[in-house]
Amino acid sequence: MNNLDAAMKILPTCQDVTRLVLESQDHALPPLARLQMRLHWLMCDRCRHFRKQAALMRQAMRGWRAYRDGDGG
Amino acid sequence: MTAPVPDPKTGPSFAAQVEALRPQLMRFARSQLRNDAWAEDAVSDTLLAALEKPQGFGGQSQLKTWLVGVLKHKVVDQLRRHSREATILTLDDGEDLDESLFDATGHWRHAPQDWGNPEASFGQRQFFEVLEACCDQLPSTQGRVFMMREWLELETDEICKELQITSTNLWVLLHRARLRLRECLQIRWFAGRLEQP
Repeated sequence: MNNLDAAMKILPTCQDVTRLVLESQDHALPPLARLQMRLHWLMCDRCRHFRKQAALMRQAMRGWRAYRDGDGG
Repeated sequence: MTAPVPDPKTGPSFAAQVEALRPQLMRFARSQLRNDAWAEDAVSDTLLAALEKPQGFGGQSQLKTWLVGVLKHKVVDQLRRHSREATILTLDDGEDLDESLFDATGHWRHAPQDWGNPEASFGQRQFFEVLEACCDQLPSTQGRVFMMREWLELETDEICKELQITSTNLWVLLHRARLRLRECLQIRWFAGRLEQP
């Protein structure tokens, strides 16, 4: 369940890549894991969509924080 | 308590302004703590601190922003105090979303949708209400750690320290919370909006 397990695999699955994408929101991943994700994205539009969804969710949370702690909420 | 000075930070109007923000602070505290009694304590501590030390409010920021800043500290105090109960897992927390998302070979069962370019909607009240409802729907422990990360903006090692949990446990909880939030946003916000790519 951690990035090392996924890094041991030469070809990570979509499930592994999803795990890595979410984990990268909490700390920097090792270079090998980042390389594996990049290679996977080249071949997999599903995971590219997920990567984008994850990035949009981060952005949404930032906006929400500013909204609720400031004028809105 | 009622100083007859025209200072906006000590007079009764200051107390009234602080008190007026109480319902909002309660809502924020509840969404983080998932426990009414703890939320009540955190908000009371916040209002007491504000009334006892109004000079802490510089006046350059909004009163609400300042109070929310104080509340975030009081909320962490509550989490620390109740860490044992705050990390009890419910049945929902244990449910593994990965199984419904991926098949046995690790492939997506249903392709994630392209959410397009929704950035403009991220400024809309309507969107934030959906986002908030989705966060509130998270199982308690998942919701607590997710909000600690996203609202309190704590680093993962700080969360582990405050709640006395391992980084593996925290990571599993955050992983599940994020996948659930994604699913909720997909259903409640994006599904109706993306007919055409």
